[in-house]
Amino acid sequence: MTSHSQPSVLWQRRSTRRYNPFLGFFSDYHLGLFVGLSLFYSLEVVLGNKTLKKMVSANVSGDLSSEMEVDAFRRLFPLRYHERFLLDSIRPDARPLGRARDTSLALGAVASADGSALAKIGCTTMLAAVKMEVMTPPKESPDEGSIAIEFYMPPICSPLVRPGRPAEEAPVVSKQLSDTILSSGMINLKELSLVSGKAAWMAYLDIYCLDADGSLFDAALLAAVAAFSHLRIPVVSLNEEGRVVVVSEENEEGKSEKEPVNKGKRKLTLSSLPFSLTCILHKNYILADPTAEEESIMETLVTVVLDSSGQLVSLYKPGGPVLAYASAVQDCIALTRQRVKELKSILNEAISDMEVD
Amino acid sequence: MEFVSPEGLRLDGRRPMEMRQIRGEIGAVAKADGSAFFEMGNTKVIAAVYGPREVENRSQQISDQALVRCEYTMANFSTGDRMRKPKGDRRSTEISLVIRQTMEACILTHLMPRSQIDIFVQVLQADGGTRSACINAATLALADAGIPMRDLVTSCSAGYLNSTPLLDLNYVEDSAGGPDVTVGILPKLDKVTLLQMDAKLPMDIFENVMQLAIEGCKAIANYIREVLLENTKQLEYRRGP
Repeated sequence: MTSHSQPSVLWQRRSTRRYNPFLGFFSDYHLGLFVGLSLFYSLEVVLGNKTLKKMVSANVSGDLSSEMEVDAFRRLFPLRYHERFLLDSIRPDARPLGRARDTSLALGAVASADGSALAKIGCTTMLAAVKMEVMTPPKESPDEGSIAIEFYMPPICSPLVRPGRPAEEAPVVSKQLSDTILSSGMINLKELSLVSGKAAWMAYLDIYCLDADGSLFDAALLAAVAAFSHLRIPVVSLNEEGRVVVVSEENEEGKSEKEPVNKGKRKLTLSSLPFSLTCILHKNYILADPTAEEESIMETLVTVVLDSSGQLVSLYKPGGPVLAYASAVQDCIALTRQRVKELKSILNEAISDMEVD
Repeated sequence: MEFVSPEGLRLDGRRPMEMRQIRGEIGAVAKADGSAFFEMGNTKVIAAVYGPREVENRSQQISDQALVRCEYTMANFSTGDRMRKPKGDRRSTEISLVIRQTMEACILTHLMPRSQIDIFVQVLQADGGTRSACINAATLALADAGIPMRDLVTSCSAGYLNSTPLLDLNYVEDSAGGPDVTVGILPKLDKVTLLQMDAKLPMDIFENVMQLAIEGCKAIANYIREVLLENTKQLEYRRGP
């Protein structure tokens, strides 16, 4: 066997499946079935509390074969594996049911963009960047700018995304994000106007998923909000033909004739930042912040978006096998309220770190 | 325009034979079989390797070799002006092909027949030398995935402006219209796998510029070896006694 790192449950890198050139396409399935059935009967007996605690602790030393059995059981019967943990109100990565994964935020990740942020929730990584361009506003709203939000899932983020087969979730999350950000009223579009009727800002927000491990919408929304908080609007001025040009900062001494049009207003005033939490409903359990594995086996998701003043911005439950009573939804909202406090403090910390620099 | 000042400093303060600061990190994407993040100055690139895995299109399966696929994409915000079509345009297709053929030369594909190895490279910030940064990142990612290779592949670019050979051009120097030589080598075997040049250059000066680029590649190879060694030590430490 190759000397690969032993994947303990807490520190989960990725499993390296050794490719066996002697087995063809079908043997994987048959081998799996045989191993699975024999494991099922042996492990059902063995899988008592002791093995459970062993799975959760960090030092799973001991022989490689028992680890492989646990791993194989996890692959073949994921629902039973997770339910075994849920009985003890815990999840395979030792989190209690209502707790989200470690979240971190870094502003200014992309130097070439006007505002950017990198958000990580557990292993899920999102990179958001805002670029501003000048455009002519439409006739119906001559003193408003506009925002275009796009969400991409490039093939690096997950083994399920292939170049010919784009991810199913990408357009869904893209639409959700667009609707949430525009309807939450976080950005006042009138602030994006430069010269009424002639020039206004178009803010392009691009969010790239660099690693997809569940809760894509939460991480994307956090990255988007952080990118807008970090945004510095470029200084512009009117040139001779009456067109708006971006003033480049190096040549500022020479251009005394061209007065910058918006020198004072470089940041957007953001009111009521939206924050979200995705929960999974499974029988009568509510799991906050699911990983990709949990999302794929327990399919009922509920996403709640609250703003920083505690008002409900959006609620999203796109079907799913579990039907929820209103009380379950209330519980999700309560979990989200707690999460909003955490996320607000993380965002404020990241902003103050930037300002220190 | 002055690309090399009379004192011998370039636009960003480097000497002509000085490379930008490089940084490489393994394990950027948790879900990938192998992944790496590589930085050359302001050019930042993420590479992820998935494989060897099942070939998704049975008609493309090769019975005695692994199929290597590569996709190069740039983020919309990676360049100065926002890019409209970051994927299907000609430049991305060409660079995808170049990276694929370069890596295919060094992967021992005959050890993994009927399988597929996917290399995905995403440019997060572009400031010249994206091709080289992508190849270096792909090498690190392939090593992280444990895919057997003949040798590391490292790449670096060099140019010739104001009668001076310059190592590792950034975007401003690259768009100056002078020659740009990109070299990819297998450092231990001392063989050249990638060599691209545009614009005109006299033969003897070309020898110098290419030699300079090869020196740059060797320096990057040393750095990559250190990163991999450090990573292996970490893995061994975490594995415990």
